[in-house]
Amino acid sequence: MSRQVLTLALVCLLLLCGSCQKKTPSLNLLVWEGYADSSFVKAFEEQNHCKVTASYMGSSDELVAKLRGGSAGNYDVISPSSDVATSIAKAGLAEPLDLTKLPSYAQLSPQLTALPLVRVDGKVYGVPFMWGPDPLIYVTTAFPQPPDSWNVLWDPKLQGKISVWDDLSTVYLAAQILGYDKPEPGHLYNLTDAELTAVKNKLIELKPNIRKMWSTGGELTNLFQNHEVVAAMGWPLMTNQLRKAGFPVGETIPKENTTGWIDHLMITAGSENKDLAYKFLEYMIQAQTQKKATDVTGYTPANPQAAQFMTPEERKNLHLDDVDNYQKRLYFWQDVPRRSKYNEIWNEVKAAQ
Amino acid sequence: MFSRAYKFAISAPPLLWISVFLLVPYLLMFGYSFWAVSSSQAIVHTWNLQNYRDLLIHDVYRQTLLRSMWIAARVMVFSLLLGYPLAYFLSFYAGAKKELYYQLVIIPLWVSYLVRAYAWKTILGTDGVLNTLLQYVHLTRHPLDFLLYSPFAVVLTLTHIYTPFTFLPIYAALEHIPRNLVEASHDLGATPAQTFWRVIFPLSIPGVLAGATFAFVLSLGDFLAPLLLGGPSGIMISNIVVSLFGAAYNWPLGAAISFCMLLLVLSLLMFSEHLEKRWSHS
Repeated sequence: MSRQVLTLALVCLLLLCGSCQKKTPSLNLLVWEGYADSSFVKAFEEQNHCKVTASYMGSSDELVAKLRGGSAGNYDVISPSSDVATSIAKAGLAEPLDLTKLPSYAQLSPQLTALPLVRVDGKVYGVPFMWGPDPLIYVTTAFPQPPDSWNVLWDPKLQGKISVWDDLSTVYLAAQILGYDKPEPGHLYNLTDAELTAVKNKLIELKPNIRKMWSTGGELTNLFQNHEVVAAMGWPLMTNQLRKAGFPVGETIPKENTTGWIDHLMITAGSENKDLAYKFLEYMIQAQTQKKATDVTGYTPANPQAAQFMTPEERKNLHLDDVDNYQKRLYFWQDVPRRSKYNEIWNEVKAAQ
Repeated sequence: MFSRAYKFAISAPPLLWISVFLLVPYLLMFGYSFWAVSSSQAIVHTWNLQNYRDLLIHDVYRQTLLRSMWIAARVMVFSLLLGYPLAYFLSFYAGAKKELYYQLVIIPLWVSYLVRAYAWKTILGTDGVLNTLLQYVHLTRHPLDFLLYSPFAVVLTLTHIYTPFTFLPIYAALEHIPRNLVEASHDLGATPAQTFWRVIFPLSIPGVLAGATFAFVLSLGDFLAPLLLGGPSGIMISNIVVSLFGAAYNWPLGAAISFCMLLLVLSLLMFSEHLEKRWSHS
């Protein structure tokens, strides 16, 4: 009898120990590829004795759909771009930030922090993290002359040899080729029905040249490496990855200019690890982390002080010596009031024969 | 013999399972299909028929559905052409090795769908196994483009994946044919061809119908093969549903398409069941 009591007591003790054992806190990210690279995330994990788990998003719409579809509570930190940051803040999916918890915020480029993108009712919902273009990426050995116009994608000689992003950015791109960025570049994000129809036709014209639409950065890198495509609209991240792999790749902003984005870090409203999330945001905008993130992605850091850790050549490659002129060539993604209509057009392009 | 309470206790778990995991989600989906999406992309709970009207008005949904059915039909035919001889051989000629062959046919079903789809990618790609081989033996001078990221790749992969599903019911049907019928046919002077077409094949038709239904219905609803291996024009109806429930965030329209698909599939199943019954009675 007493033995059974003893056993029972032991079992209870074991169960208690099991449940009171301290769990390593974990931070879940839903961010663009390259934003949770171990080269900078590992140090954060060690400093804070936590685990950082990252999921990657394939498009801005995927992020919004995941947040709205009820998985907002699964993620602590997100990295929306300038196209959906405002609507995420307005929809109450993100937490208003207490800037006193982010000492490095003051170092960030005033050009970026002054933008109304993540400000709703006087509150700030996100910190700018990195920005960059959607450049034309091409295989240098496939072009005797480096291409200087987006029209090269429509070149009949490149049948089945190009790739575009399975994302609304490709709609913006076609609108730009059609000249809807003049006189006001912001018009790309608020096209009329007639203009959208023209965009649709322009993209359907492009279809014979498209080998595969890419939906993750890794997929485009693979398409290049497997010689499936020779030119594509992509991100500097892929150029960086391909160059590191020794692949003959070039990157350019064609003469028609290109779209670009400003990625922000936000804490989700449903996060249960807000203190840790604040620490992460602060860590990510510190100058040293920004330099490391730049090495991985090839994007321009939001904290100009990252430049002190760079060689003059690195600074030139990121256009840090000439930011104003460079930004004139990038039409930063904006909130698209009729996003459903844009998505409908894009789906029709994909379904067209 | 069994009390009412016992019968209830026995049938409650499956009924509960079906209601919670099948009926309730379908009803929810049906409900969603009558709601709308506001311009700010929020789901609005106002009852309307706009989603179904959109399905009728816009060509894109009808065309994509027809294309999906065309792909599914080809998969069905090729799966039958591969699955039937295989089942016939196993049932009548494999002898002692029957078990081994049977396992070999089934093994692909244990391998993850994604692994099999990616395997085809490495085989069919520009730098893939097949193109390298063709150029090595000088059959082609340039890599063949149509092999990957094309309807061809989708039909090939789906056929590979769903052939075991057509094989199984056909094999079961052939196994159930009493062998003395075949012997009687031979004894009465029928040639092997006559025996096959007038005795074996008619008796195996329920299996063929079941297998054909499997291949058609499963590939009709597929979205991974077109996503991974289909080209820019290769999307199927389920890809549109995935996009509507994901990136495009139009759950109501996605639900309307899903519901129409459900009706289509259910009527196909009823039709095939009806055919099966007719065949087994005649």
